[in-house]
Amino acid sequence: MGDDVAVGVITATGLSMVFGQQRALDALDVTVQPGVTGLVGANGAGKTTFMSIVLGLRAPTVGVVEVLGLDPMRQGAELRSHVGYGPERNIFPEDMPASDFVKHLAEVRGMPRSEARSRASDALWLVGLGEERFRALGTMSTGQRQRVKLAQAIAADPSLILLDEPTDGLDPVQRDEMLALIKQISSEYGIDVLLSSHLLEEVERICDHVVALDAGRLIAQGRLVDLIGDVEGVTIELADIADVPDSVGAVIGRLHAAGLEVRHEPEAFVMDVLGASADDIADAVRDAIADSSARVRRIEPRRRRLEDLFEAAAL
Amino acid sequence: MTSTGAGDSTDHAEILDRGYRRFDGRRSGVAGAMRSVAWHTTRSVLGLGRKARHKVFPVVVVVIAFLPAVIFIGLTLILGNDLFDGELVPEFWELPRNSIAATVLFVGLVAPEALVRDRRDGMLSLYLSTPLTRLTYLLSKIASVTGVLSIIVVAPTIMYLLGLTFASAGPDGFRDWMLALVRILVSGIAVSVLYALISLACSSVTDRRAFASVSVIMIMFGLLTIVDILIGSADGSEYLRLLDPINIPLEMSARIFGADGVYPEIATAPVYLANLGWFVVAASALWLRYRKAGA
Repeated sequence: MGDDVAVGVITATGLSMVFGQQRALDALDVTVQPGVTGLVGANGAGKTTFMSIVLGLRAPTVGVVEVLGLDPMRQGAELRSHVGYGPERNIFPEDMPASDFVKHLAEVRGMPRSEARSRASDALWLVGLGEERFRALGTMSTGQRQRVKLAQAIAADPSLILLDEPTDGLDPVQRDEMLALIKQISSEYGIDVLLSSHLLEEVERICDHVVALDAGRLIAQGRLVDLIGDVEGVTIELADIADVPDSVGAVIGRLHAAGLEVRHEPEAFVMDVLGASADDIADAVRDAIADSSARVRRIEPRRRRLEDLFEAAAL
Repeated sequence: MTSTGAGDSTDHAEILDRGYRRFDGRRSGVAGAMRSVAWHTTRSVLGLGRKARHKVFPVVVVVIAFLPAVIFIGLTLILGNDLFDGELVPEFWELPRNSIAATVLFVGLVAPEALVRDRRDGMLSLYLSTPLTRLTYLLSKIASVTGVLSIIVVAPTIMYLLGLTFASAGPDGFRDWMLALVRILVSGIAVSVLYALISLACSSVTDRRAFASVSVIMIMFGLLTIVDILIGSADGSEYLRLLDPINIPLEMSARIFGADGVYPEIATAPVYLANLGWFVVAASALWLRYRKAGA
C-alpha cells in the first residue's frame, strides 16, 4: 500500500476541528511526505487531535484528509490495518508478557495467528527486548515499555506508524537508542513515521520533514534542511572571567560601536551578531574580544533552529 | 538456520537473522480483529493464561451452574423416569433458576473485567487504532461476555436435555427433541445477551472493577429488592416485576417454552416488551458512554 503512495503519505486540506468554543485545528493544509516526519508543537498545539483525525477516530469539523490514499472516516478499518500506533500513555496490562501483548495486537491488526506469534518475537528482538520478551509488562522499566510500544506498532507490518511522544520518560542514552531505532525502521524497512513530539532537538536529529503546529495553526512544514540551517550572522559564546568584570558587556559595546546588531538574552553569554558578512563579523568579534580581554568559548555561523520558527510565529 | 546434516561440520553453521520481514499475505480485517478481541476477553474473564487466583471464581461458578443438571440427571438415572411423578424434575426453562445467584454474582464480579480492564490498562486506545471501531469493539465484548454466560446458562440445560434423553425421559420424538433444543438455545442466548448488556452498561461508568461490580450488583439486586417490597408490602401491581432485571429475562425464557412461568399474572407480550426495553436501555447506555471514548 505504501508503495503506491508517491506524493503524500498524509494529505490534509482546509482541516479544522472545533470543540465548542475552542478551535483545536485551524484550516490546516498539510502534506506528510515519506520518511520520518516530526509533528511538533507545544502541549495543546493540536498534535493529538491531528493524529486522531488521521486514524479516523474523529471526524474533522471542516476539511478533507487522505492517509495512504484512503479516507480515514469512510475507510478507517482498512486504513488502520496498515497503520501502527504508539500512544503517549505508558499504561499496559501489568500481568501480560510482552510477547503475548505484541502478538495479540498484531492479530487484531489482521495477522494470522502463527504469523503474529513469529512477528511479535521478531519485533521484540528488533527493539532489543528479545531476551526479555516473556517478562510481564508490569515488571518492565519505562525504557523497556517504550520499546514494547514501538514493537507492537511495527509487528503487523504497517506502511505508516504514528508515534506519540515515544521518548517520554527516557534518559539521554535510552532516548538516543530509541531515536536511532525509529530512524532505522524508516530507512531500512521503508515504514513511514509520523513522530509527535514537543522536543524540538530530537526532531531535528532524526526527522526528514517537519510539520510545526502552534495553537492549532500551521506555522511551518517542509523538509528539515529547508527549514533550519545556516543563516545570516554569527553566534558566539563567551566565558565569564572573574578578574575582568563585565568583559561580556565590553564586547557587546564594541560590537555595537562597530555598527553590528547583537541579540542576546539579559545576563546570557550566548549571542547572535548580525549586520555584516560572516567574515567581517568574525573579524569584528575577534577584535572586540581582544580589546576587552574577554574569553571566547565558541564562534560559529548562526543556524536557524526549529525553535526559531516558533519564536517567529509568536511575534 | 542453515541445515547441517549429520556429517556436516558445525563450522558451517550460521545464526539466522530473520530481521524485519514484510507481510504480503491476506489480513483478517474487522472480522479477525473482533474474533481476536472476543477470544482474548473470554480468556481474561475466565482467568485462562493468568494466575490461579483469577481462575477460582469462574471455576466455582461453572461448577455451581452445572451442579443442578448433574444432580437431576443422576436422580433420573437412578430412580427412574417418573421421579416423584415428575414433580421434582424441573422443566428446561426452570433449570437456570437453580443457579441464578451464582450467575448474577458472575455477572457482577467477573464480567466487568471485560470492559474495565481495557480502559484501566490503556488497551482501548490501542484497539481503536486497529481495524476495530467503537461499535465493533463493543460487539466483540458483548459476544465474549454472552459466550461466557452461555456456558453457565445454556450449556447445563443442553447437558440436562442430553441426560434426560439418555435416561429415556427426554422429549418424545425427533421433532419435539429438536424443538426443545432450539428453545434452549434461543432462550438461553437471549438471557445471556441481556445479562451481558446490563453488566457491561453498568461497568462502563467507572474505571475501577470493584465499583463496577458494586454498581452491577446494586442495580440488579437493588431493583429486585425494591420490586419485591413494592409488591409485597405496598400492594403494588405484579406488572412492577417488569422492572426486575434478574427475573424478567428468565420469565421470557419460560414464555419461549410456552410455559406460564413464575409470574402467570403477567401477560406474555409485556414480558417480551420489558426485555426489549432492558435491551434498548442497556445498549443505549453502553453506546452513550463509548461513542466518543478513546479518541
